[in-house]
Amino acid sequence: MNLLYALFVDPWVQMGQAPDLLVQTLWEGLVSGVLYALIALGFVLIFKASGVFNFAQGIMVVFAALTLVGFYEMGVPAFLALALAVGVMFLLAVTVERVVLRPLVNQPDIILFMATFGITYVLIGLGELIFGGNPKRMITEQLYLPKGAVEFKILGGFVSLQKIDIAAAIIAAIMIAVLAFFFQKTRIGRALRAVADSHKAALSVGISLNQIWAIVWFTAGIVALVTGIMWGARSEVSFALQVIALKALPVLILGGFTSVPGAIVGGLIIGIGEKLGEFYWGPLVGGGIESWLAYFIALAFLLFRPQGLFGEKIIERI
Amino acid sequence: MRAPGSDKGVAAGDVLLAVDNVSLNFGGVKAITDVSFDIRKGEIRAIIGPNGAGKTSMLNVINGFYHPQQGRITYRGETRQKMRPYVAASQGISRTFQNVALFKGMSTLDNIMAGRTLKMRGSFFWQLFRHGPAMREEIEHRKVVEEIIDFLEIQAIRKTPVGKLPYGLQKRVELGRALAMEPDLLLLDEPMAGMNLEEKEDMSRFIIDVNNQYGTTIALIEHDIGVVMDLSDRIVVLEYGRKIADGTPDQVKSDQTVIDAYLGVPH
Amino acid sequence: MFYREAGQYKTSYAADMAVFPIRQDRIGLAVILFTAFVLIPAFGNQFFLSSVMIPTLVFALAAIGLNILTGYTGLISLGTAAFMGVGAYACYKLTTWFPGVNIIVWIIASGFVSAFVGAMFGLPSLRIKGFYLVVATLAAQFFLQWCFGRIPWLVNYNTSGAIEAPERFLFGIPITGANATPESRYLVVLGVVALMTWFASNLVHGRVGRAWMAVRDMDIAAELMGIRLLTTKLLAFAVSSFYCGVSGALMVFLWYGSAEPEVFVINQSFLILFMVIIGGLGSLVGSFMGAALIYMLPIVLRLLPAALGVPIAAATVEHLQFIIVGVLIIVFLIAEPHGLARLWQTGKQKLRIWPFPY
Repeated sequence: MNLLYALFVDPWVQMGQAPDLLVQTLWEGLVSGVLYALIALGFVLIFKASGVFNFAQGIMVVFAALTLVGFYEMGVPAFLALALAVGVMFLLAVTVERVVLRPLVNQPDIILFMATFGITYVLIGLGELIFGGNPKRMITEQLYLPKGAVEFKILGGFVSLQKIDIAAAIIAAIMIAVLAFFFQKTRIGRALRAVADSHKAALSVGISLNQIWAIVWFTAGIVALVTGIMWGARSEVSFALQVIALKALPVLILGGFTSVPGAIVGGLIIGIGEKLGEFYWGPLVGGGIESWLAYFIALAFLLFRPQGLFGEKIIERI
Repeated sequence: MRAPGSDKGVAAGDVLLAVDNVSLNFGGVKAITDVSFDIRKGEIRAIIGPNGAGKTSMLNVINGFYHPQQGRITYRGETRQKMRPYVAASQGISRTFQNVALFKGMSTLDNIMAGRTLKMRGSFFWQLFRHGPAMREEIEHRKVVEEIIDFLEIQAIRKTPVGKLPYGLQKRVELGRALAMEPDLLLLDEPMAGMNLEEKEDMSRFIIDVNNQYGTTIALIEHDIGVVMDLSDRIVVLEYGRKIADGTPDQVKSDQTVIDAYLGVPH
Repeated sequence: MFYREAGQYKTSYAADMAVFPIRQDRIGLAVILFTAFVLIPAFGNQFFLSSVMIPTLVFALAAIGLNILTGYTGLISLGTAAFMGVGAYACYKLTTWFPGVNIIVWIIASGFVSAFVGAMFGLPSLRIKGFYLVVATLAAQFFLQWCFGRIPWLVNYNTSGAIEAPERFLFGIPITGANATPESRYLVVLGVVALMTWFASNLVHGRVGRAWMAVRDMDIAAELMGIRLLTTKLLAFAVSSFYCGVSGALMVFLWYGSAEPEVFVINQSFLILFMVIIGGLGSLVGSFMGAALIYMLPIVLRLLPAALGVPIAAATVEHLQFIIVGVLIIVFLIAEPHGLARLWQTGKQKLRIWPFPY
C-alpha cells in the first residue's frame, strides 16, 4: 500500500505542493528536450535524404564543438574559429559522401548503419588525437552568447532560467524555421525531398545523388555544430556527451524517423518526461533512472503506436 | 509428397474455400468491395483483372495477412476468425508472391527445407546435437525436398544461394518452397510475370502437373490471358475491387463487362 | 593442390548434410582442436594464455551470441554487454548462495538467467522492427547497467560495489580465484566455448537456424509459411542472451577475477558488434576471427611501435586504435560486407581450383 502510494499518489502531491519546483523541473526538461530534438533533427535530415541510420550524429555534435574550441585554443579568433569549424563540417560531409556513402550505395540498410559506427570511431579517435581527450570549456562569452540567469517570482517561489538556455531555445526555433524554408521553397530542397521519396526516380530526372548527400550531411553538420555550442555551454565539451547523444534514438522512435516536427515534439516529450521521472519518481529507487527512462518511455509509446507519433499507419505489402 | 485425395472431409468438386461479401479498405482507400466467390476442391481457379483491381489483396485476405472489415471467409466448412497468417499456413494454405519473396541469403535447398518447418516436430534438445531424432527427421524431410527438386528440375542449383539465381529460376524455387508445405490450397501470385515464352510454358506445365498429380487446389493471379484461359477451370474477374464476372473461360471471354474492362468502352 | 574434393563422393543425405563435407576441412578442424587443446596449453606461456587466448575465446563466445541475434535473425542489438553482465552477476549470486555446487553448473545456469532476461527485452520485437528494436536493446543496456550499479543485493552488499570471483574447484583443481593457473582456466574456457560452438553450429544448420534466417531475409513470407515470428524471435533473443550470459560469467570468473558495473558498458557492446561485423554476419567461424582481430589489434598496436623502436605515447596509441578500428570497419564493409569469413571462403575456393583462375 505504501509502495502504491509512493508510486502513484505522492509524486502528484509533491507537484501540487511546490508548483515552483514543478515549473523549474519542466523548464529543465524542456531545455534538454530542445537539445535532444536538435540531435534528432540532424539525424532525420540524413535519414530522409539517404535512408542512412546515422549513428554518428551524436559524435558529430561533439566533434563540431571540439573543433570550434580547439581552433580557439590554438589562438584563432572566436568567429574565425566558428567559420573554420563550419569548413571542417563541410569537409567531413564531402569526405563521408566520397569515401563511405558512394562506395556503399545500394547496400542493405544494416550495412550503412554499421558504416556510421565506423565513422563514429574515426571521429572519436581523430578528435582526441588532434584536440586531446580532456574536457574543454565552450567559448560562450567570445561568441557573445548570454551568461547568467534570470529569476521569476511565480507560484509562491522562484524559478530560475539560465539565459543560455533561453538563447538555445530561440536559436533552435530559428534554425528549424530556416531549414523548413530551405526544404519547402528552394530548388535544392525540392531535389532533396525527391531523393527522400525514391533514389531511382530522383536519379532518372537528373538529380545528382552525390551532391544531395553531401549537402545533407553538411546541413546535419551545421545542426551538429549549433547543438554542440549550446550543449557545450551548459556543461563542457567532451566525448562523454556521446552516451547522452544516444538519447536521440528514443526521440526518433517517438517522432518517427522521417518527421521533423516529430523530432521536435519527441525531443520535448523525452526531455520533460525524463526530468519529471528523475525528480519525482527517481528517489524511490535510488535515483539515476535518467540513464534509461527515456528508452522505456519510447518503448511504451511504441507498443501502442509502432509508427511513431507522426508516422502514418504502415500498410505492409507483399 | 502426399497422394491425391487424402483429404480431410472435402471431396473433389466440393467447395474448399468460400469468400462471402468481403470488403477491405486501408484508411479511406477501398481495395476490395463486397466480393464473393468460391474455390472448389481440385480446380484451378484464376483471379484476373487490370492493375489495382485488388487481386493481390484478395490473396492476402485468403491467407490471413489482411483482415477484411466486412464479410467472411469459410475454409473447409469453417468460418474463419481473425487470425495470424501462420494459422492459415498450418491449415494447408501456401503461396508464392508477386515480387519473389525468397530467403535471399539461403540456398535453394534451405529455402525449400524452410517450407517444411511446419511439418517438423523435433525437439529443441535434439536440435542442439543434430543427431538421433533431429538428424533422422532432417533426412526424412530432405528426401521429400529432393523429390520436389527433381519435379521442378532444379537439381543443378540445389546449393546455390537464391539471390544469385536468374528471375525465372527464383520463381521456380518459390513454387518449390510453397509445394514443400504440401498445401491443400496453393495461391500463386503472378507465377509467370516477367518470363519469356519458354519459361512460361515450363511454369504452366508445373502448375498443371501439381494440379493433376497431387490434386492440389490452385488459385492463381495472372495477366497473360492466353495462359489463364488454357490453365484454369473457372475465372473470377475483378475491377476496381469489385467482382464483374465469374465463370468458365468461355463464359468470361464472351462477357461484355469483361471486354469493356479490358478494351475500354467507347464514350 | 592439397585442397581438392574430387573423388569424395557423398552416398547419403547425412554425408551431404555434414557441416564439414570436405575431408580436408575435417582434417583442418582436427588440427585446430589438437592445437587448441594440447599444444597451446603445453607450450603457451602465461601471457599468451591469460591475455590472448582466454579473452579471445570469451569474446568469441559473446560474438557468437550476438551473431545468432544479428547475423542469423537480423535483429540488431546494442545490449550485448548488459546480457554478459546478467550472466556474470547471476553466476556470482548463485555461487555465493550455494558454494557447494560446481561452478560449471552455475556458469551454465547463469546463461539461463541471462536467456530469460534477454527474452523479456525481446518481447517488444513482436510489434517493432528494424532500427526501432535497437531502442529496446538500448533500454536493456542502460537499465541493466543501472541495476548492476544501484542494487547492492547483486553484489552481496559489498562496499566496493564490485563482484569478486571466489575460489572454486573442478576435479579438485582451482579454476577460479587467485590460485587458478592460466592453463586450467584456459582449458575450462576452451572446453565451454568449443562445446557451445558445436551446439550453435548444430542449431544454425537445422530447422531452428532456417527459421531464424527466414525471419531475417523476409519475415512476412516466413510468417505466411507458418513460421511464428514471435516464437522465433524470442528464441533467438533467448539463445543469444544465453551465449552472452555464459560469456560474461566466464569473463569475470576465469579472466578478470573481479568486475565492476563499468565492465559492462555500452562501448563493450559496440566492440562485440564490431567483432561480428568484421568477422562476418551469419558466420560462426567469423565470430572467432572477428574476436581475435578486434581484441588483438590494440595489443599489437601497443607492442608494435616499441618493437620497431618508435616511441609513441600510450594515449596516442589509444586514439589511433579508435581511428584504425573505425577505418577497418568502413573498409571491410566496402570491400567485403560479409567479413573475414567470406574472405576465408573465397580463399578456399581459389585454393580448390588453383592453379587455374576458374
